[in-house]
Amino acid sequence: MENISFEKALQRLEEIVDLLESGSLDLQASIEIFEEGIALSVRCQQELQKAEGRVQQLVKKLEGGWELADI
Amino acid sequence: MREYLTVSQLNKHIDHLLQTDVILSDLWLKGEVSGFKHHRQSGHYYFTLKDQESVISCVMFRSQARRASITPQDGMEVLAWGSVAVYAPQGKYQLYVQELQPFGIGAWQLYLEKIREKCQAAGYFDIERKKAIPGFVNRVGIITSQDGAALQDMLKVIRQRHRRCQVFLVHSAVQGAEAPYELAEAIRLLNEHGESEVIIIGRGGGSWEDLMPFNTEIVVEAIYKSQIPIITAIGHEVDYSLADLAADLRAATPTQAAVLAVPDINQLEATLARQQERITAAITRKITRHMETLDRIMMKKVWKDPLQLIKLHSDRLQQAQLSLNQAMGMVIEQKSTRLAFLTARLDGVSPLKTMQRGYALVMSGTAVVTRGEQVKPGDELRISMLDADLKVRVMGKEAVSRWKI
Repeated sequence: MENISFEKALQRLEEIVDLLESGSLDLQASIEIFEEGIALSVRCQQELQKAEGRVQQLVKKLEGGWELADI
Repeated sequence: MREYLTVSQLNKHIDHLLQTDVILSDLWLKGEVSGFKHHRQSGHYYFTLKDQESVISCVMFRSQARRASITPQDGMEVLAWGSVAVYAPQGKYQLYVQELQPFGIGAWQLYLEKIREKCQAAGYFDIERKKAIPGFVNRVGIITSQDGAALQDMLKVIRQRHRRCQVFLVHSAVQGAEAPYELAEAIRLLNEHGESEVIIIGRGGGSWEDLMPFNTEIVVEAIYKSQIPIITAIGHEVDYSLADLAADLRAATPTQAAVLAVPDINQLEATLARQQERITAAITRKITRHMETLDRIMMKKVWKDPLQLIKLHSDRLQQAQLSLNQAMGMVIEQKSTRLAFLTARLDGVSPLKTMQRGYALVMSGTAVVTRGEQVKPGDELRISMLDADLKVRVMGKEAVSRWKI
């Protein structure tokens, strides 16, 4: 689960919601899938919080490589 | 001695005059290309530009030739930008070309069509090579002019949609001779840096000449080779460029590119919250339903009064016993009625009744004497009466007939 992309996680979460709402699973399976859904939603939320929100300028240096400058 | 100049001095002087001239040091020259040669070893271009009456030699050095918007061809009408200087070894002046462009919109269109065909043949526009734009992006690379309104438009939209999105800006000229080279370099730089999840290449509207850098092979190729998906947003909605064809996604404007590149985080957060609510509600419903079922089962009487179960059985047993008794009683009654009936009949035929009427039974030993011939005078007999047995001896006998039928 750690490696799947945000979109995959969101998609899986949607599947889980639909499955749970359909009520077709037995209790044991429902609880397992519910726990997975909660974990996914927490992960997605963390992903949303993760970014830094900076604007930086990327400049190529003469000797190769690059440097980043806040603007 | 007269004063004189050497040939070198003369050429040097003329060269100085040319290079300090306001017009000759920086000019756009229109003419038709002829005698074009691409020197293989040096990479320089040599050609002449002419009109009806006149001709001038031109040279374009490799570094400029490499970045040129077009590769000249004989007969092509072009605009050449550069300066006039002396080429001393041959004692002639020539145009040192920095940039070449097709002249007039017709020539541009011909040129464009040629580049388009070439890029098409190279597979730069192939649909199956296009990369998907990630649906959720935290880091965006932007290639545009740091002074343009397009940058401000894009940053504003990105802030609105995803305030924590990180932006890597690479400044590039977006018009003019240097623009294609800088744009391509910027794409390579962002790929080398490798942090961006999607790249926007954008600029605002402009004249068709302004947008020409986005129609150069060098830019199209760089877009094609980028490992990171690229969204182009060049000019206005009506403007189409070859860069748009090579891009993984074309946006009508820089603002729209920002919308396409960056998710609307508020909406995503709302979606997530809603889904959390939904699964929580669903599992709560499920558990509640199970609890209700359990409650209903536990409310059944049997759990409160388990003896009820036994009572049911003992009732049945009692009932069975009762039935059995009744049945048995009936049988006994039946039998005893029959017994009484038989007893009565038996009583009817009993010899005692006959004896009461005065009859007696005559026995000889154990045999009942019914006929005269069974005895003779002197025999000892026994006479059984109702209440006594008489021992008698036969004194005599004579035969009689009584009520013979």
